[in-house]
Amino acid sequence: MPNIVCCFKWVVDEAYIKPSSSGKIDLEWAEYKLSDYDRNAIEEAVRLQEIYGGGVTAVTVASSDATKGIKDALSRGPEKAYFINDDQFENLEPSQTSAILAQVIADQIDYDVIICGEGSSDMYSQQVGPRLAEKLGIPCIAFVNQLSIEDKQIIAERKTDEGMEVISAPMPVLVTVLPDINNPRVPGLKDTLAASKKPVINIELEDLASEYKRLLIDKGLKAASIERNCTHFGAGPEDIKAFVEAIRKTGVIDRG
Amino acid sequence: MSGVWIYADKYEQVFELLTAGRGLADSLGTKLTALVSGDNDTAQDLIARGADEVLLFPPLAEDQPVQDYVPLMADEAREADPDIFLIAASLKGKEMGARIAARLDTALCSECITMNIDDKGKLQMERLMYGGSAIQTVSINSRPQMATIPPRAYEPAQVIDSRQGSVRTLKKPEPSGMKVIDRKGKAQSSGDISAARVIVCAGRGLEKQEDLDLVRELAGVLGAEVACTRPISEEKHWMTEESCIGLSAKEVKPALYLGIGVSGQIQHLVGIREAGIICAVNSDENAPIFESADYGITGDLYKIVPALIEEFKK
Ligand SMILES: Cc1cc2nc3c(=O)[nH]c(=O)nc-3n(C[C@H](O)[C@H](O)[C@H](O)COP(=O)(O)OP(=O)(O)OC[C@H]3O[C@@H](n4cnc5c(N)ncnc54)[C@H](O)[C@@H]3O)c2cc1C
Repeated sequence: MPNIVCCFKWVVDEAYIKPSSSGKIDLEWAEYKLSDYDRNAIEEAVRLQEIYGGGVTAVTVASSDATKGIKDALSRGPEKAYFINDDQFENLEPSQTSAILAQVIADQIDYDVIICGEGSSDMYSQQVGPRLAEKLGIPCIAFVNQLSIEDKQIIAERKTDEGMEVISAPMPVLVTVLPDINNPRVPGLKDTLAASKKPVINIELEDLASEYKRLLIDKGLKAASIERNCTHFGAGPEDIKAFVEAIRKTGVIDRG
Repeated sequence: MSGVWIYADKYEQVFELLTAGRGLADSLGTKLTALVSGDNDTAQDLIARGADEVLLFPPLAEDQPVQDYVPLMADEAREADPDIFLIAASLKGKEMGARIAARLDTALCSECITMNIDDKGKLQMERLMYGGSAIQTVSINSRPQMATIPPRAYEPAQVIDSRQGSVRTLKKPEPSGMKVIDRKGKAQSSGDISAARVIVCAGRGLEKQEDLDLVRELAGVLGAEVACTRPISEEKHWMTEESCIGLSAKEVKPALYLGIGVSGQIQHLVGIREAGIICAVNSDENAPIFESADYGITGDLYKIVPALIEEFKK
């Protein structure tokens, strides 16, 4: 029966990000959320467990205030979580996150399948999964939208620019999943209550005995404004006329 | 050692990266190396288009995925120690880039939108963050400086006669244990939204697949291509991903964009940032798309779109 590990990230909800008048990014009012496609990763881990048995462990690397994220992840079905946290783990880059995950997973967790989201909602670098596979020295199948296990082999359908490929690989294996692989459940009150009773293994930087160097130099962040001055129209016949007239006047359509 | 390296798993993008790489190699006064699978004719073509050196991969076995080149590419790069290694941001390229970077213990700027060489000869790169609401500038403190480059960011390199270069054939990659047991091409989509002058975009405001006919009819009247949001292509599969606009899909630059039942989340909007006129029909007056639109109608698309078709026909 497979031991399944799913990785997730607790991220700033980009819907709350509004550029300030100075063109800087203002995170003061930001809310946090479980990164969108990591919900698919967790759901897929739980779905595989429902079919093949085994266990599901959720793992995150985060700053110490991400405890809400642990609860959110556990309410979606995994039976325990590894919370690798430190105040220094703010804005880690993909090479650091994957190296930290690799060290903890290699040393402490039994795994046959590791599932990551295709990319996080905040950075969307799409690197942590493939890098983690390399650090663990296991096969990587990225951008998967269908997954099954047959005879100790993983069978994955993955998207390519040309169409799709079905891949078979021996376990242990890492896959990154696309949003259309499943419909993540919405946890209910019972799930949330159950989540607070599940074991959480806390790991801090000093337990890791390794250095994770920053290689990417952040040279600044600026708001990418896409705001325009909208002229609003209602739904009445006169509005439709005026709307079409306004578009015609810009000269962007050839006919009429 | 020095040099600029490029790799793309598709020829169109090899040509685009040759343009990008040639520019960087010239400003650094170094040579441009292209990695590609193919034969000597391919290699000569790449040399004519700007490569100084071509490293040729021998063909893979039928059931070998292209990712089996990863260990070889990392070993060659470790040996040659180039300054810069650019990889096309195709789905395969993004995965391969991350894995090569992990093997080389270096950083990678994913889907880099601009590149410049600063006065110390270092790459300065920009990329989108927070779904596209912010642009981050980064540089890399390790070697090689790696980046993945989105499609169509550079013009394809043209053939210049009389260019000279060297070709080296690499050894056959070892099988990794991963096997391709089936491949399927994708359904052909009708038009090309990247080149369209007018785009009508369908969003999740549509209740069922048949309702796309309404959007198609409007597009027909406008001489427009039909595009869609990610939920329409990836969740509902009503249209192909070729038609999808946004952060994880295509960027478009039409003179006119008209969104029908599109909420206007940032990940979609980044794909239409360069559109001339942005228009939207949405029943929710607080839909975010109105903040980024030039003209908006608040109303039920099932009433508005037929009325628009009539009015545009006049
Ligand atoms: C990392 C990441 C990458 C992403 N990449 C992309 C991408 O590349 N492209 C993309 O599109 N999305 C992308 N998304 C998803 C994006 O965040 C949004 O979820 C998506 O764009 C919403 O699509 P939508 O507007 O069709 O649907 P919804 O957000 O569900 O909006 C539907 C809209 O229709 C309106 N509506 C409903 N009924 C009617 C009616 N009868 N008449 C008129 N209006 C009506 C509603 O008011 C609503 O505003 C990405 C998300 C993440 C996290």
